[in-house]
Amino acid sequence: MTLSADDRVADIAPARTRLPHARRFLNGAPAGRVVGLTLLALILAFLSVYPLSMLLYGSLHSTPPGVAGVFTLDGYREIASQQNLLTLLNTVGIALAKTIPSLILAVLLAWILARTDTPFRGTLEVLVTLPFFIPPILTAMAWGMLGNPQVGLLNQLYQGITGSTASPINVYSYGGVIWHMMQYSVPFLFLLIVDAFRAMDPSLEEAARMCGATRLRTFCTVTLQLMLPALTGAAILSFIRGIENFESPLFFGSPAGIHVITTDIYDSINQRSPPQYQYATAISFVIMALMFLIILMQWRILRGRSFQTVTGKGYSPGVMKLGKWRWATFAFCALFFAVTVVLPVSQLLIGSFFKFFGFYEWDMLTLEHYQAVAGSSEFWRAFGNTMLLGFIGASLTMLLGGIVAYVSVRTRWRGRRLIDTMAWLPWMMPGIVLGVGFLWGFALLPHAIPIYGTIWALLLAYISLGTPLSVRVMSSAYGQLSYDLEECSRVHGAGWLQTMWRIMIALVWPSFAVGWVLIFFGIMRELSASVLLYSVGSEVLSVVLLKLWANGSAEQVSVIGLIMMAMVIVFRWVQLRVIKRWIGAL
Amino acid sequence: MSNVVLEKVSRKFGEFVAVSDVDLRVAEGEFVTLLGPSGCGKTTTLRMVAGLEQNTSGRISLGNEVVSDAASGVFVPSERRRLGMVFQSYAIWPHMTVFENVAYPLRVRRRPAAEIRDLVSNALRLVEMERFAERPAPALSGGQQQRVAIARALVFEPKVLLLDEPLSNLDAKLRLQMGDEFRAIQRRLGMTTLYVTHDQSEAMALSDRVVVMDQGRIQQVGAPEDIYRYPANRTVAGFFGNPNLLNASVEACARLEGGRVQLDVVGQGWQGRCEAAAEVPPGQTVTVMVRPEDIRIAPAATDKDGLRWSGRIAHTIFRGPTRSIVVEIENGHLNVDAPAFGGYAVGDNVTVVVPQHAAWAVG
Repeated sequence: MTLSADDRVADIAPARTRLPHARRFLNGAPAGRVVGLTLLALILAFLSVYPLSMLLYGSLHSTPPGVAGVFTLDGYREIASQQNLLTLLNTVGIALAKTIPSLILAVLLAWILARTDTPFRGTLEVLVTLPFFIPPILTAMAWGMLGNPQVGLLNQLYQGITGSTASPINVYSYGGVIWHMMQYSVPFLFLLIVDAFRAMDPSLEEAARMCGATRLRTFCTVTLQLMLPALTGAAILSFIRGIENFESPLFFGSPAGIHVITTDIYDSINQRSPPQYQYATAISFVIMALMFLIILMQWRILRGRSFQTVTGKGYSPGVMKLGKWRWATFAFCALFFAVTVVLPVSQLLIGSFFKFFGFYEWDMLTLEHYQAVAGSSEFWRAFGNTMLLGFIGASLTMLLGGIVAYVSVRTRWRGRRLIDTMAWLPWMMPGIVLGVGFLWGFALLPHAIPIYGTIWALLLAYISLGTPLSVRVMSSAYGQLSYDLEECSRVHGAGWLQTMWRIMIALVWPSFAVGWVLIFFGIMRELSASVLLYSVGSEVLSVVLLKLWANGSAEQVSVIGLIMMAMVIVFRWVQLRVIKRWIGAL
Repeated sequence: MSNVVLEKVSRKFGEFVAVSDVDLRVAEGEFVTLLGPSGCGKTTTLRMVAGLEQNTSGRISLGNEVVSDAASGVFVPSERRRLGMVFQSYAIWPHMTVFENVAYPLRVRRRPAAEIRDLVSNALRLVEMERFAERPAPALSGGQQQRVAIARALVFEPKVLLLDEPLSNLDAKLRLQMGDEFRAIQRRLGMTTLYVTHDQSEAMALSDRVVVMDQGRIQQVGAPEDIYRYPANRTVAGFFGNPNLLNASVEACARLEGGRVQLDVVGQGWQGRCEAAAEVPPGQTVTVMVRPEDIRIAPAATDKDGLRWSGRIAHTIFRGPTRSIVVEIENGHLNVDAPAFGGYAVGDNVTVVVPQHAAWAVG
């Protein structure tokens, strides 16, 4: 599900066969529907077009939001500097440098887990994809402690073993930024490509064997070639994610003086006095232009290049017998899990029980950090806010996505293209850019609508960020349903509303549930928009973590990190166990 | 000389025996069909010949070479068996053109480019696809993909051609046409062919010999006419067409010329004479198979030999060339294929007769 969910490739809505009787509705649409569609369009416009136009307004306006000023091009003039050229190169270079090794690792993992007889493949698959669900801020902080050049656990271990005083590992470097991004993008790519490995018609490969090709040649000339469109699509997505990434360069780049566009936007608002809003909005446009170019390129490359290799036949793909090498592949997967999950979680665990981060002596063991966190009203407020935003945000986002997807996939109503496009717009906006857009947008709203500085500002931003994903999930769910089901229900006497309730919702709600959990995870790990839009009283957990980290309370960070980690595992467990079972029952 | 030999070949998946003790010899240039319902082990047998599955016991030889012997651990992988194969899904690689698909086996064998060009265009001409050589594979219809798959399987002159339900994804009309084309090409090239299908009419139309399989075992091997007319058991009898199967007990048994025997049988409310493959002691029960097209509706009793029943026409179905008539007899009914415009009406009392040579008893 995550595969289709995160897939921007298929966003160019293909021409579908539409409901024949829907054509009738084109002429003389009932008033109720016009009102409904207008309302939907207005909501979407507020969530996507409004912040976008506010960005444009802000980039041309000389003063901060809400202050009288003049229109100038200073923002764009400021961008054109040598420093920014380096920032741009950093952004693109880091994204590229993390995509390529991630792709190789992901292909290897996908091949091992889908096409070999490695033991415990089912469990391993759950484990190696777990880092995708962990908020990056958690692993960032854990690695900040693990790979700290002065007191990092890994360096201490190295020094303890070799007796030298050198610190070979320094995460505050290009390598650190890339390494941290890879922990997220390997499982991300894995989830995107593993089904392509699994679902391939095995006779395509067998035919090559029968033609005289060896296993290796078959893999190179048939398997890999057939995967190429899926791999290219996944790689471009991963590249886009790399450009949008905020946590890794914030934690490991900024301290080392490595700047990318997202951290530059953040710094120009949060780290400079006075905040340079015009510059921030102008550079936001640069990153959006970059994203737009990549998406255009993606459409060009992938147009008509997706091979339908999946047949209806319930064959299992050819599983390669590895002999004793299967324990080597097992060890490889286990190692990946150990490094990306066990190591950071252990660091959080250790960090939470010692008095001071970096000083691991027996007499330094303490529970005071747990007490401090439990007694902290700020933590509980943030916990409540995150939960509230997660539940309400995920529900509303999926509801909105479900409606938009229905209108754009299953009707021929006038205006459905516009609605689909507006819902897709936030795809082009990294969280931090959307945050800046909403910052301006909320500040310029009339005072009668006091959104700015409240928890609702975050809610709106989350819904906007999540809508493209929810539309994708629900579109693919609707797309799989034959029109006959809907038409049959109508023919047998059910009204439109009854049909929706009894047939459509009954059949798509497993997708709804899967999408809901994905959006919930997304909200829980969101940092870049939250850090711009929160204010006192409306902090969320990720923001509290960042503030504590900035204050040097690595110990309390560990405690909160562990709590979040437990939440991730519980939700992932619910998703795998409960929801999969419901789907299996259908 | 046998070109494909299977000796006591079995395949087990855990406890489940998919193929059990299959013995089969396919002669050079022969077209042999493995026929049976789905799950009968026919595809597994073919895949073991191809080397895509490994037999758990027994021996498989191609020509003079043993390619798989479970006892001695010999297993030649698929790519070194020099077999051409056509898959049910055709397995045309979507990332290549028609030419590249067909050229693949030659490129794997590092033939010179000029030779590849000639051989590929010959192969494409054989299946009348030379005009499509530069088409990307996804732009082909099902029938065209089928032809490309055949060209690819034939282009490197394999020892044996294997076909796994190649017609099952085509519509009825194309299926007939492609089947005839297969047979024509196979005859022209004299290619040893092993063909898997679940469609009995396909099997009868194409094959020199048919191997009927059920539950992993060979039920009968023989020419299509023999299997149709003289099935070895009830399973095989029921598999071809829609015959009437009647229980009867044997009263007397006599040898005929040509190895068959003649049985006097008695059923419930009828009696008469039929034939069988081997002698049956009197008193034993047999199943008498009578094909609908062999039954005549007779106005009066004339035939002394054979079987006869009297009954009433229960209903009739017009099928174009024939009319299916259901005749109610004592304790059952008979399906009869009669001339389409014979003037039969529901409710008529009729006598139906079957000549002795068209009634076949199986154990």
